[in-house]
Amino acid sequence: MIRALLPLNETLIFYARFFNYTLREEDGVMKKGISFSFMLFVLGIFVLYPFSAHAQLKPGDPIVIGVPTALGSIEGRDGWMAIQMAVEEINAKGGVQVGATKHLLRAYSIDTREHEPGIPVHDALTAMEKLILERKPHAIVLGNFRSEVLLSAMDLISKYKLPYICSIAMTPLMQKKVTEEYDKYKYVFRNGLNAPYLAMYLGGVMGFIKKEFGFNKSYIITQDVLWAKGTGGGLEKWYKENGWEVAAFDTYATGASDFSPSMIKARAQKAQVIVPIFDMPQSGILLKQARAMQIPALLAGFISPAVTENAWKVFEGEVDGMINMIYEVGPIPVKAVPKSVTFNENFGKRWGEKARTELSGHGPGPSYDAVYIMANAIERAKTVEPDAVVKAIEQTDMQGVIGRIRFGKDHQVVYGFDPKETALGVGFQWVKGQRVVVFPEVVAEGKIQLPPYMK
Amino acid sequence: MLPSILIYGLVNSVILALIAMGFSLTFGISGVANFAYGGFYIFSGFVVWMLLNYLHFPFLLAVMVTIGITGLLGFVTYWVILLRVRGIPLSEVIATFALGVGILELFRWMGFVTYEFTLPYLKKGMIMIAGVPLDYQRLFIIVIGLALILFLYFFTHYTRIGLAFRGIAQNERTAISLGIKSDRTAALSLAFGSAMASVAAVVILPLGIISINTGYEVLLVAVAVGIVGGLESVPGILVASLILGYAQIITGTYFKPEWMMVVYLAAIVLVLAIKPSGLFGKFKELEERV
Repeated sequence: MIRALLPLNETLIFYARFFNYTLREEDGVMKKGISFSFMLFVLGIFVLYPFSAHAQLKPGDPIVIGVPTALGSIEGRDGWMAIQMAVEEINAKGGVQVGATKHLLRAYSIDTREHEPGIPVHDALTAMEKLILERKPHAIVLGNFRSEVLLSAMDLISKYKLPYICSIAMTPLMQKKVTEEYDKYKYVFRNGLNAPYLAMYLGGVMGFIKKEFGFNKSYIITQDVLWAKGTGGGLEKWYKENGWEVAAFDTYATGASDFSPSMIKARAQKAQVIVPIFDMPQSGILLKQARAMQIPALLAGFISPAVTENAWKVFEGEVDGMINMIYEVGPIPVKAVPKSVTFNENFGKRWGEKARTELSGHGPGPSYDAVYIMANAIERAKTVEPDAVVKAIEQTDMQGVIGRIRFGKDHQVVYGFDPKETALGVGFQWVKGQRVVVFPEVVAEGKIQLPPYMK
Repeated sequence: MLPSILIYGLVNSVILALIAMGFSLTFGISGVANFAYGGFYIFSGFVVWMLLNYLHFPFLLAVMVTIGITGLLGFVTYWVILLRVRGIPLSEVIATFALGVGILELFRWMGFVTYEFTLPYLKKGMIMIAGVPLDYQRLFIIVIGLALILFLYFFTHYTRIGLAFRGIAQNERTAISLGIKSDRTAALSLAFGSAMASVAAVVILPLGIISINTGYEVLLVAVAVGIVGGLESVPGILVASLILGYAQIITGTYFKPEWMMVVYLAAIVLVLAIKPSGLFGKFKELEERV
């Protein structure tokens, strides 16, 4: 605590005085021991100084935001662009008020490459630690892409005591770790959608489909990664509880480029709804293959390449009828969430119309909001001292691009169906070149229709 | 289900053969394992895309130009990089692998990471075969794959360059004594192999999205098929493609799709343990007999 409040030289003087006072009280034998302890202590301060110095802010110092993420992924890239937008907006208004002084934000990114097959977890962690040691951030936003990396990174974050808002990785195990070892992992938050919430939204979409068309037989196909299998598992449970039959639950390795076995089985088993859950570029093949093989089933799930506004053009209309998910609003403007509309427009102005039409469905909205959440928490805490900022983040209650932002006790932003109460993800359907929001009903701008090939 | 498995197993097999053919051709002639192969494959995809979208070339012209450029890239690669390390297998592998990684990561650095990079189908639509729908693109893949195999056969048996290729492959010293220039032939083999990677790319990539990571996977496929069939043997490549192609589809259909990738690795381990030269390979045949 003392180290957090005083600059290095003052800290040294403080401890020197403390020990001098003690020396006067002790005899000669103890004097040597204490002198040695004092030297060790001074050495310790020098060693630990880099880890604690970030907690101090002098007038004119910027607040440093670290962004270690998979910049080569479309989600990471878009998230980083959204963060830069938020930083520019806050700085244009003079920065963040910390006590009596205002401080500008400065964001630094590093590419962890964790979305690439074959990149081991420790490589991503090394990149993350490099950013922490070199840039000495006061906080981390956006963060990990892969859940496997996030879970390992939590120890790193705990070691450096950095408030961290994750916006991409989706495993619910993060919440479990925060809940079970709060003191250790309290620095980690997530404002992006997690796997159970995705399953909740998909379950809602399926319930809607069952009500509208009477379908009750699904076929789940997921990528062989933690978040996707977790979502598929959650959805499978939901199906069984809601009177659906799950024809099969297949998983494909990241990088797989042929999905015909599942298509063959889906046709043979007369599946009515195929639920793909993928964030790899090759999942575009699945979409095209389903159409090429004329599988008479509704595609409803998540295929990342089919989320972007330009997907209709990219896939030459083959996305027609597919129901896809926008995990957090913003990449798709939803009238019921005014900030999502503003964000979408401003993104186009800042980065160009092409970049706007390529906005991915997962990451940009919460990444942008994370900067505001962090800035807001620092202002309320009146310091960048990690524990105080963590407390302030826990008390966040604000309207953002993704809807209303409030964290649960497990440090996950609460998602739901009404953006006035919770953050929001939506299901949309591709209809004649447009993305029409069809779920939740509160914000729906159209009804689910059967695609032309199923009529 | 059986007709579907037969048809899509064949499609998968021809895709594997198309991918592995160029890799095998280069190795069979020059002895160089071109580990930049995946890089050349993706390079071709992006070049076609750029010619179509930036310079608005007609599709066929874009394809022809790209095949030419990629072939030239292979040719230059030999003279600029491989000539210096020729005959040192480990250095050849490291040099070509580094080049492939360099190409792939250059595209990543240039921002070719979004989902907009797709190539058009040669023709849209589909036909029914034994009650199984098959799109024209996959049909073209089968036709082009078979045509390429026939072309390779006639090229290596009835053209001067092709005969030179075979001469070098059979016995380099004797071929040199007959006036065949070893380096020029090896450079041409690299050019042909690279051009074949390009052909594979322009017919296979329209099935999905051009992704940089695919470059690494293509290399794995080419190596796996080559090891199983015998790196220098065209018939071996065909047989290995059929085995692996059908094994994958059957694994995915009757067992679990996540094991489809394991088929490659299991096949590599199995073949290396039983017959290291591959099913039709002859490089280590004598040692294997002994």
